[in-house]
Amino acid sequence: MNHITEILDDTPFDGLTDTDLRTITAHTTSCGECADAFTAARLSSMLLRERISQAAADTANANPFFQTRVLAAWREQQTGGAWSFRRLWNATGAIVASMAATTAALGVLMFVAPATNTSDQQTAALVPYSAETVVLEQDRDDNQLTNDQIIGAIYDDDDEGK
Amino acid sequence: MAHRFFRNRSQAEEAAQETFLKAFAQLKSFAGRGSMEGWLTRIATNTCLNMLRSAKRRPEVIASDLSDDETEFLEGVSSSMGRETLDAEQQVVAVDLAERLLETLSPEDRLALTMIDGEGASVNEVAEVTGWSESKVKVRAFRARKKAREALQKLLGPTRP
Repeated sequence: MNHITEILDDTPFDGLTDTDLRTITAHTTSCGECADAFTAARLSSMLLRERISQAAADTANANPFFQTRVLAAWREQQTGGAWSFRRLWNATGAIVASMAATTAALGVLMFVAPATNTSDQQTAALVPYSAETVVLEQDRDDNQLTNDQIIGAIYDDDDEGK
Repeated sequence: MAHRFFRNRSQAEEAAQETFLKAFAQLKSFAGRGSMEGWLTRIATNTCLNMLRSAKRRPEVIASDLSDDETEFLEGVSSSMGRETLDAEQQVVAVDLAERLLETLSPEDRLALTMIDGEGASVNEVAEVTGWSESKVKVRAFRARKKAREALQKLLGPTRP
């Protein structure tokens, strides 16, 4: 006995031909299982039709603002890069600007100030002091005591002790 | 088109929006080959398929999950073999049940069943929209039909001793 489930699964229920239906009717009178299968297939087809009818009704009652929504989404997608950069700048602009200023200041300190020091050292190296100059220059110091003053100070203390 | 795949209005709108955004972005690739409607339908189909793939699938529909209305509906409909028209309440229940059934199918099977059995599309039309071979469409539809039928058969239970 050939069951009819293959006919049911192979063809959409609404597409069954008269020949198919005659074969099915003849078979289901003597096969309970296939009769149940036929009922289920019919029900499945009906449920799908209802589902599609509902979808058609939903499409007919589409959201009137859908077009506006799509266009807004499109514009947002198109300007997404610029917007994100602007937002990023608004959020971090002050920090970025201060970091740039700090970097510039550090750059000045690193490259300009050391150059000044180096030139002083180079000048000092170009003017060497001889031992004689150092000895002779000592006397020019106003704060330095003369030899007589030192000797006087030493012996005055001894005299006072006596 | 998105409403065929998503009962939830916001999901359907999201799919439609995504479709249009993709279409705008790829407008140059269209280049007037074929119909604009066919091209958009193909983008929409792929978008809906991708969204369905990311959605959670229901493993199966079992009788204990059904509400009283759904059980009553199944009993009433299965006992009447004619092509009766449903009232508004029955329509709501039918759509709920259909959605439950569809959620148990893979996105590809669901698409094939919805388009061929629900909308009456031909195998060739589905193949064109999805980019699948015709034999793949037939296999998907066969598998989906069988799974839906068996699930409903299980829910209805044996009607004869």
